[in-house]
Amino acid sequence: MSNKNSNTGNLVAVWIGAVAIVLLGFYLLDHGIMGMQGLPLNWDLTPAQ
Amino acid sequence: MTLVKVMGFTLLLCLVFLAVTHLLPQVEGEAPVDKMIDLDVLTMDGFIVMGEQIFNSKGNCTLCHKSPPLGRAPDIQGADMVAVAAERLADLRYKGVATDAETYLRESMKAPSQYVVAGWGKTGAKGERSPMPAAHKAPIGLSNIEIDAVIAYLQSKDGHEVTVALPTEATAPVADSVPTPTATAAAVIKKYSCQVCHVVDAVGGSVGPNLDRVGGRLTPEQIHESIINPNAVIAEGFVSGVMPRDFAEKMTVKELQLLVKWLAEKQP
Amino acid sequence: MGCLLFMLLVCGAVTDGWAADVAPVGGAQMQGQDLPVSAEVKSIMAPHLSRADYPNIGVSSRAVVWVLAQMHLFFGALVLAVPLFVLVIELVGHITGDDRYDDMAHEFMRISMTGFSITAIFGGTLTFALFMLYPDFMQYMMHVFGAQTLFYAGMFFFESFFLYTYYYGWNAMRYGNLKWVHLSLGLMLNASGITIMVLANAWSTFMMAPSGVNEVGAVIGNIWEIMKGPLWNPLNLHRFVANIAFGGAVVGAYAAYKFLASRDPLERAHYDWMGYTSNFIAILAFLPLPFAGYWLMAEIYAYSQQMGITAMGGILAWLFIVQAVLIGTILLAANFYLWSGMSRTEGSNRYQWLIKYIAFVLVACFLVWVTPHTLILSASEIATLGGSHHQILGPLGIMPAKNIAVNLMLIATFLSFQLYRRSDKVATVSWAAAGNALMVVIYIVAIANVIFVGVYYGYFTNTVYKVGSSVVQVISTLVVIVSGITIDLFLFKNAKTLPSHWGQVSNRSQYALFALPVAFTWLMGLMGYVRSSVKTHWHVYGVMKDNSPDNFIPTIAYAGNMITIVTVLFLLCVLFMFWVASLGAAKQVNPATVIEDDGV
Repeated sequence: MSNKNSNTGNLVAVWIGAVAIVLLGFYLLDHGIMGMQGLPLNWDLTPAQ
Repeated sequence: MTLVKVMGFTLLLCLVFLAVTHLLPQVEGEAPVDKMIDLDVLTMDGFIVMGEQIFNSKGNCTLCHKSPPLGRAPDIQGADMVAVAAERLADLRYKGVATDAETYLRESMKAPSQYVVAGWGKTGAKGERSPMPAAHKAPIGLSNIEIDAVIAYLQSKDGHEVTVALPTEATAPVADSVPTPTATAAAVIKKYSCQVCHVVDAVGGSVGPNLDRVGGRLTPEQIHESIINPNAVIAEGFVSGVMPRDFAEKMTVKELQLLVKWLAEKQP
Repeated sequence: MGCLLFMLLVCGAVTDGWAADVAPVGGAQMQGQDLPVSAEVKSIMAPHLSRADYPNIGVSSRAVVWVLAQMHLFFGALVLAVPLFVLVIELVGHITGDDRYDDMAHEFMRISMTGFSITAIFGGTLTFALFMLYPDFMQYMMHVFGAQTLFYAGMFFFESFFLYTYYYGWNAMRYGNLKWVHLSLGLMLNASGITIMVLANAWSTFMMAPSGVNEVGAVIGNIWEIMKGPLWNPLNLHRFVANIAFGGAVVGAYAAYKFLASRDPLERAHYDWMGYTSNFIAILAFLPLPFAGYWLMAEIYAYSQQMGITAMGGILAWLFIVQAVLIGTILLAANFYLWSGMSRTEGSNRYQWLIKYIAFVLVACFLVWVTPHTLILSASEIATLGGSHHQILGPLGIMPAKNIAVNLMLIATFLSFQLYRRSDKVATVSWAAAGNALMVVIYIVAIANVIFVGVYYGYFTNTVYKVGSSVVQVISTLVVIVSGITIDLFLFKNAKTLPSHWGQVSNRSQYALFALPVAFTWLMGLMGYVRSSVKTHWHVYGVMKDNSPDNFIPTIAYAGNMITIVTVLFLLCVLFMFWVASLGAAKQVNPATVIEDDGV
């Protein structure tokens, strides 16, 4: 019984972790790619120019 | 049997694609055609109409100069260009040599990067370069007269006075081989198209040496020889065999004298 | 001295650093008036031609050259592409030790051998036609490129040598060290082919964006400067990748036909597998193509905004709507084939539910992509519409919407592909759940990113950010593809494989393998037409004007007719090519021996 709960708990943690990592990754990607083209962004992804 | 089915299928698919191309709006492009202008009957109104036609066809202006948000260049037809020219000339960033609407418009067409309207510059060039091609060079290749016509159109469309002059015999090319005499050095220069290869009065090509200070380099005799026997002495950095060698036959004595005198006066 | 310089130019020798000042044009020149220059200058400039300078053989010269050039390019693309993936397949076969790969690679070569001759035939005829119909243009091009053309011709000796040794030596160099010799021959074949292609590409890109010459066409650079114009490498990359996709599609049609025509289950299994492999190659190469095309287009814009806008915002803009139809066909066909193929294994049942959503995304995105922006409307139509653009659909017509659509279609296609690849496997690694979670999240966030970036920067910021955002979208798609391949590689190590039956696929699915090469070929014809006509009334853009009777851009229907003609002609020639291949394998039984048997 506790196994099943911790399994579910683990699964939730895994998903949340995946979402967090991937979101961060794409956020940095956006900044990086736009920045490389001479188009800097603010923290909220609005154009800095 | 398989072969028939397969061939039928492929043919059908090709016909679907073909049908799409037939259903779309059909437009045929037109290459620019040489037109003869009859100077005797040309009026200013006709000249303005010619300018509008050039704006819409040979000049390729409407390719980029469209009304927002479509345009990739400032909207010209929707704006009062004479008023706009005055604003641009007054701008602190303006570093060109134009003084009024006519000269500003001409400069914008021949040297578009002289002043780049804010926000329309080439990406990454920090507003220093314009993506617009020079209208008098290939691939557009408008002649001075065509540029004048466009300026006339741009001035007149918002009710302003047209300041360009109609083309006259003196500025038009000579059709036959008998040269008509000209009265001023400037007319000689226009007639024999010196500026195609030489810079004269800050305008011209760089095939041959810049003539704006030639009087300080060459004596009048040397200038004379350079015109009628161009291969005798070649300026440093240039090659022989490029300048026409038949000016001696083509020019009248009077024209040659005018030209040499005028060039000799161009001192640094 | 002048004469010596002239001679050097004609011989195409190094003219590095010579008078870059020879740059007139402009100033007081009346339209139609020739520059007052001497004969010597005239001979080094690009010629100014009048209509009378063009030979007339009674039919449109442009149409003749169009057909010959396009046929040459179709077959050239095919014979460059096939050795590329043949070599890879042969290598895979050698490394895995699986004979099936080697046999398939050998078969691919066998069926395309005639293609090399056909390419040469069309190339030779094209050359004659060009010299006959456009002599002054060809004289100028020969003057500019000089010995490079001889070098190009010489390369065919190498290509032929490596082709014949590679093909005929296949069984003689089958194992061990000899196999490596054989693979090297294949490598050299590909190297020769690619060299030939890039040499010829330079001629096309020079016509569009001349380099190494001044404004009047006089040569002022060396041969490298002439060849290495701004469009050369973008075209090289685009054609290299596109050839592979095209080649895969064509041999896939062969496999599909043999599958349909066969009754033997073993043979059907073989050709089913061959078809799948061809489709795999075609799709793999097809996915990065839009990016290569985008680079080419971006370089065109950077070189001349006028040329760029003519292509996509001016008279040629409608062609890109036709392109959308063609690519939509390609993607739908490829996806349909993958979904059909999932029936080969029962492990695909767990993924069936996703198919309808992928299909929906594909269709919806295709509709967005095909929505035009600028319509040529009459005054009454404008009044009815309430403006020059439709209020709701108008915004779907511009690039940001189309970029979103294309990227989503590519992601959807990759998903189909990934699901197919997973169908016959069950992961056994301990971290399977986490790996799958990561994959799903990557898909969702990438899709969201593509949409967000496209909408926000596309509609709510200025042009420069709008254009720059498309790179972000492309990279997001690439992240999905790369992470998908990588994660699956590790996730399915030592996976449990479910039974999969080659040959167990519907006949209907094979028609997808016919649709692919037809659409690819038509698309190649279309895009080639765009490339050629974007220089409008110029032979060499800005340098040598086209004054032939055909110097205008024809209607899109005329172009469609020409493209359809060359596509059908190509397919007939390919049919002939395949037929000759099977002819080569056929052996007539001696009638005398048959009668004897009957007698007994």
